[in-house]
Amino acid sequence: MNRAIQTARLLLGSALLAGCAAPSPLPAPVGKSHWAFQPVQPTRPPQVRDAAWLRNPVDAFILARLEQHQLPPAARADKGTLLRRVTMDLTGLPPTPAELDAFLADASPDAYDKVVDRLLSSPRYGERWGRYWLDVARYSDTKGYVYAREERFWVHAHTYRDWVIRALNEDLPYDQFLLLQLAADQAAPQDLKAQAAMGFLTLGRRFLGVTHDIIDDRIDTVTRGMLGLTVSCARCHDHKYDPIPTQDYYSLYGIFHNSVEHLISLDPAPAKTEIYAAFEKEYQTKWKAFAAAQSLRREESAARARSRAGEYMAAQLNLSQFPEEGFDQILTTKDLIPAFVRRWRDFLAGRAREHDPVFGLWHHLRTVSPADIERATAAYWSESSRAAKRTNARIRAAFATAPRSMAEAAQRYGAVFVEVDAQWKAALSASRPQGAASLAALADFDAEEIRRILYAPDSPCVVPATGMANNEQFFETDVIEALWKLQGEADRVLLRAAGAPPHALVLRDGPPEPLPRVLIRGKASTLGDEVNRQFLSALAGPNPKPFLQGSGRLELARAIAHADNPLTARVAVNRIWRHHFGAGLVRTPSDLGTRAEPPSHPELLDWLAGWFVTQGWSQKKLHRLIVLSAAYQQSGMEHAKARAVDPENRLLSHFPRQRLDYEALRDSILFTSGELDLQMGGRPVTLHTEPFTARRAVYGLVDRQFVPELLRVFDFANPDMHCPQRSSTMVPQQSLFLLNSPFVAARARALAAKVARENPDGGASSRAARVRSLYRALYLREPTASQLAAGVEFLAVQEPGPAAPARVVPVEWQYGYGEYNATSQRVVQFKPLPHFTGDAWQGSGTYPDAKYGWLKLTADAGHPGNDRAHAVVRRWVAPVDAAVSIAGVVAHSAAPGDGIRAFIVSSRHGVLLTRSLHNSQAAADLARVEVTRGDTLDFVVDIGGTLSHDDFQWAPKIQTLPTAPARLWDALADFGGPPTQPLQMLNPLEAYVHVLLLSNEFAFVE
Amino acid sequence: MRAYTQVTRREVLQRSALGFGALALTGMLAGEAAASDPASPRRPHFRARARRVIFLFMKGGPSHVDTFEHKPLLQRDHGKPLPFAKPKVTFAQTGNLLASPWKFREHGQCGHRVSELFPHVARHVDELCFLHSMHGTNPAHGGALLKLHTGSDNFVRPSMGAWVAYGLGSENSGLPAFLTICPTLAHGGVLNWGAAFLPPHYAGTPMGNASIAAREAQVRHIKSANWTPEQQRLQLDLLEQMNRGHMAAGPADPVAAGALESRIASFELAYRMQSSMPELQDLSGETEATRQLYGMDNPVTENFGRQCLMARRFAERGVRFVQVTHSDNKVQWDQHGDLRKGHTEKAAEVDKPIAGLLTDLKARGLLEDTLVIWSGEFGRTPTVQGTTDGRDHNPWGFTAWLAGGGVKPGFRYGATDDYGFYAERERLHVHDFHATILHLLGIDHERLTFRHSGRNFRLTDVSGYVAKAILA
Repeated sequence: MNRAIQTARLLLGSALLAGCAAPSPLPAPVGKSHWAFQPVQPTRPPQVRDAAWLRNPVDAFILARLEQHQLPPAARADKGTLLRRVTMDLTGLPPTPAELDAFLADASPDAYDKVVDRLLSSPRYGERWGRYWLDVARYSDTKGYVYAREERFWVHAHTYRDWVIRALNEDLPYDQFLLLQLAADQAAPQDLKAQAAMGFLTLGRRFLGVTHDIIDDRIDTVTRGMLGLTVSCARCHDHKYDPIPTQDYYSLYGIFHNSVEHLISLDPAPAKTEIYAAFEKEYQTKWKAFAAAQSLRREESAARARSRAGEYMAAQLNLSQFPEEGFDQILTTKDLIPAFVRRWRDFLAGRAREHDPVFGLWHHLRTVSPADIERATAAYWSESSRAAKRTNARIRAAFATAPRSMAEAAQRYGAVFVEVDAQWKAALSASRPQGAASLAALADFDAEEIRRILYAPDSPCVVPATGMANNEQFFETDVIEALWKLQGEADRVLLRAAGAPPHALVLRDGPPEPLPRVLIRGKASTLGDEVNRQFLSALAGPNPKPFLQGSGRLELARAIAHADNPLTARVAVNRIWRHHFGAGLVRTPSDLGTRAEPPSHPELLDWLAGWFVTQGWSQKKLHRLIVLSAAYQQSGMEHAKARAVDPENRLLSHFPRQRLDYEALRDSILFTSGELDLQMGGRPVTLHTEPFTARRAVYGLVDRQFVPELLRVFDFANPDMHCPQRSSTMVPQQSLFLLNSPFVAARARALAAKVARENPDGGASSRAARVRSLYRALYLREPTASQLAAGVEFLAVQEPGPAAPARVVPVEWQYGYGEYNATSQRVVQFKPLPHFTGDAWQGSGTYPDAKYGWLKLTADAGHPGNDRAHAVVRRWVAPVDAAVSIAGVVAHSAAPGDGIRAFIVSSRHGVLLTRSLHNSQAAADLARVEVTRGDTLDFVVDIGGTLSHDDFQWAPKIQTLPTAPARLWDALADFGGPPTQPLQMLNPLEAYVHVLLLSNEFAFVE
Repeated sequence: MRAYTQVTRREVLQRSALGFGALALTGMLAGEAAASDPASPRRPHFRARARRVIFLFMKGGPSHVDTFEHKPLLQRDHGKPLPFAKPKVTFAQTGNLLASPWKFREHGQCGHRVSELFPHVARHVDELCFLHSMHGTNPAHGGALLKLHTGSDNFVRPSMGAWVAYGLGSENSGLPAFLTICPTLAHGGVLNWGAAFLPPHYAGTPMGNASIAAREAQVRHIKSANWTPEQQRLQLDLLEQMNRGHMAAGPADPVAAGALESRIASFELAYRMQSSMPELQDLSGETEATRQLYGMDNPVTENFGRQCLMARRFAERGVRFVQVTHSDNKVQWDQHGDLRKGHTEKAAEVDKPIAGLLTDLKARGLLEDTLVIWSGEFGRTPTVQGTTDGRDHNPWGFTAWLAGGGVKPGFRYGATDDYGFYAERERLHVHDFHATILHLLGIDHERLTFRHSGRNFRLTDVSGYVAKAILA
């Protein structure tokens, strides 16, 4: 074996084994008799001794188990505790003191029921519970690592997020909820808004465009998320524990492989506003540029594939030389494209029938040993053979004499293809002058038969007419990059333009494909048996029917969202239960397979699942049932016996204390400080940089590639993959954030200001009132006498220390970007650069930045942005009325490229100086400029014409003319980062509020 | 939302099945909150030769044939074609053989040849254990970085440092178990120090990033802009008093109370970190001799020297895994062209600081149980890219080296072919490299598993062997 092959094998060998770690030796599989695969059992609430405790059927199941263990349930929680519990639970926000007062004052027997109904009809409910589903759906606004090739932001993610929130608020039946997420394109083709649901499938990680991994992620998210089964284990081998053979995995694989991405607008008739027109114009320009380029490239690539068809056939003799799909391949026009090699492989497999008029001979010869090729050819043509009569005349002629090897056979096929292609092109150009309608076929039957192999829609030479995500592998590397760049430009209009309508990235069935084949050990290069597209064998009964409509995705969706599916409803009610009680009846919500521990209350799980389905899959009814149960309304105080009998409280003898997750903690802090902004929906907002948004956390940007450290330390769901349940850890970084972040400090200030307004004076008399008021706002109760005393003492004693001196930073300089408008002679759209590295202002820690490109300013140099709309601007703001002089030298020192343009622009006088430089330098001096306080002088540099080698040096100095007191502003010497905030000491009240926000009482729900 | 203790209980059960932490389990069932600290130190599977790691990561792919693996035939056959096939998949096209522009000279007792790029490190060859047969999978930076750091080039998997923190815990309750100093945000970025499906506690804590000068690098929120430590102490005293009162008034079962207790403790830890981190980063207490040792008196070596010196200080205080990345916002060591200039500059930036670190660790007796790792994500091709002065990525064969922590000093393991293209003798895949590192830390790479998504995951996936020959 030559070294290259050896290496390729080694490379391939390890590529897909990753992720398929085989667990240690196992017991024999329990198989299909496992409880979770059995139909949901109709169960009746059991008899209990203390029937008076029951509030609804749920309680009978809970109490029966408690009675078995002689554990009494806990007493009912007090009203304040209960109100906070249920409000936090259903909305992710605490109740207000006014809501508490109303609840306390309402002595009617259904006071609590009314609260529950109010909460369930609040839009805050969908925001809270929608976020749980987003964990299931591995929601992210970005694609993960994309190799700086495609735009890294999804254009459609937030429309999916908003759809989820709306679906929950409208109580869309859960079966519909699932159905639309898997197949809205077919289940509700007329319902445009519902198409956003398919973001569930399409907003996963991009895995650098590797199809197998994208499909794997979809299979994993669907099966763990909706069915509680770990099907992706079966990618490389039969599931080690559950009855999921590899064939099942590839049945699903075939469904998703035959599903193609489409980007669609969700607004069919947008209002023709000016703002929309501006968007439309820009978008159409960019989109057409992409579409034209892609169309051209598809044609070029197909033409090359046709001209090399013989080589692609020869490649079949040596498939292992052609690597699996991978982002790491660099392909040029010299290379055979592995994707075409595989297409030929599948195409030939589809034409492997006996006596195929074109490929019959090929397949015949492949069955014989090399030494027998000549003899076998002769035999194929022998008088008695029916093959000879059926075979295409061109092939017959080409093989009148026998080839000596398969390589030669491939060559001869190739020659026939080239010849017929030439004939077709000649016929086309001959038909053109006559003005005839375009020619549809060659007249000669045999030639036409060959032509179709090269040109028919299912030809192995044709690049599928899809978006980049589904056909990029048919292009050479530089073409892929160029096309993604154009696609990215169109994407960015959707992402940024004010008038852009919402879009959805949906799947639709592609053209018919051959049946999927098992990839042995998960390797795309080793094909196993064909399998049907069908449902999982463990759930489909003994004779699973193959899916027959298109990709089969709608049938899959229906099988999942079916009332008889034993897993779907169980998984759903278990997830919902888990969020109410902190732990599921099965504690592994995404794995109900044989390795999961048995449910704590199996009959209850089945009763709930059955009830859920009969109640029309209404999630709100299920919540209502659960939170109205006596079990839910228990206090958190455990019975002395419980610790010995049931230390983990699996029997629910009392309500389990739960810590607020990140979103609930953050939103509650904003809510209690009176600042929470309840605007719903839309593009994601940045949560963690100043100025802080007051929107709910669910609308925060989730960037799976750069998950903010803060989210990670607060156990945010890893958006790279389906997240069954978040961890709940306690790490010091959480405390550091709470102690030291400006975000929390600002909330403390806001709440303190509110309390001070409500309880003015500030003297000794008001301190107790303030403490009481804060306890009510944050804890919904009165402080105890000692708590009150401690608070009053803190407010009285604690005084701020002296403020540390702030670092003196000249604030006259600003570092930003904008566009130099020659007509108005002004810099328009000036914005500051957001990131300071210590040496430079730029877009972010990554340079060049995905959004800000090459924009950069250092003390004495810089680089303009990627286009004329992104000139880099060093701005000076006049602090006084004065006349100033300006001195400096602008230099560009690179021969390649076309240089830069430099301007000095006054907000009062317009452009004062213009320089065009290319590998040259020029003085940029002005003897006298009048400025008034607040005027700006902008030192602007943009690209000469194209983005290439545009580094420049320029450190202007501005000096007041002798008439004024002499002052100098030196860009080089004054350069620095963001002004350091002087220590702003909290006053005693603020410091006290801060402590209350940090307390466990605030961070936990009882 | 579940109390932390529930998570740790399962983890501990998992670990006890592996022979870990039986004591911790009893502690936890008895409701002792302290035992639920996921950072508490844990016993390894077998005798550990190293207790901690300092990983010097050279981002961009330093050329092994220009640094630590001398190839006489490459010098002889300069300009000739590579006499065997290049890999099918390469990052870019390369031409004929390119001799190393640097001279190699024998050093130390072992007589190992090191190029003139690393004069200071060369003085330590008798302490180094060279792994000349490293090979990976992926010829692109992103994939190769992820492979080296997590064992997987495309899936999201826990970083090596996170696995080590998970396996061994921390030796210092005031500091994170896994710190990464100025890591790069590119090429997989945070995934390279992430915990993936491991509890997030085990993720690396970044100090700054590659675009920030080491002197600016800080743990987030370690400083308050709003109050003094004295004021904060008053706040924390009140907070603790309130939290204790709250705990006493509520349920006292171990799960419920444990969660409260560990949150109380985490505020105290945070408070301690506020003073311990700046104190550790404050190098003013180091002698002038030490600063010179690390090259901090020279602008060329100041930045990396500071990173290395901080690494020593963290290691000294029991941080289990410290990564130091040599990289700024330009990709380092990645000389597709300008090899002579680029490698000369890069080597000059790190050579003295690395040698200083080795000297310092040894002088303090730390080298015995600290494993120092030096590696890039891949090496470079012996064939030329461009015309005369560049080399392409080479994941098929490259050199890493280890020092300290139970490795054979002055030793060479494996080799590439005569020209340095393919790992040939005693091939050491990245999985094998990981298996060996874990072994040195007393961990059996096949038994360090975490159950996720229905199966047990390992750093080494389904492969990996321990290069026993390098064990001292």
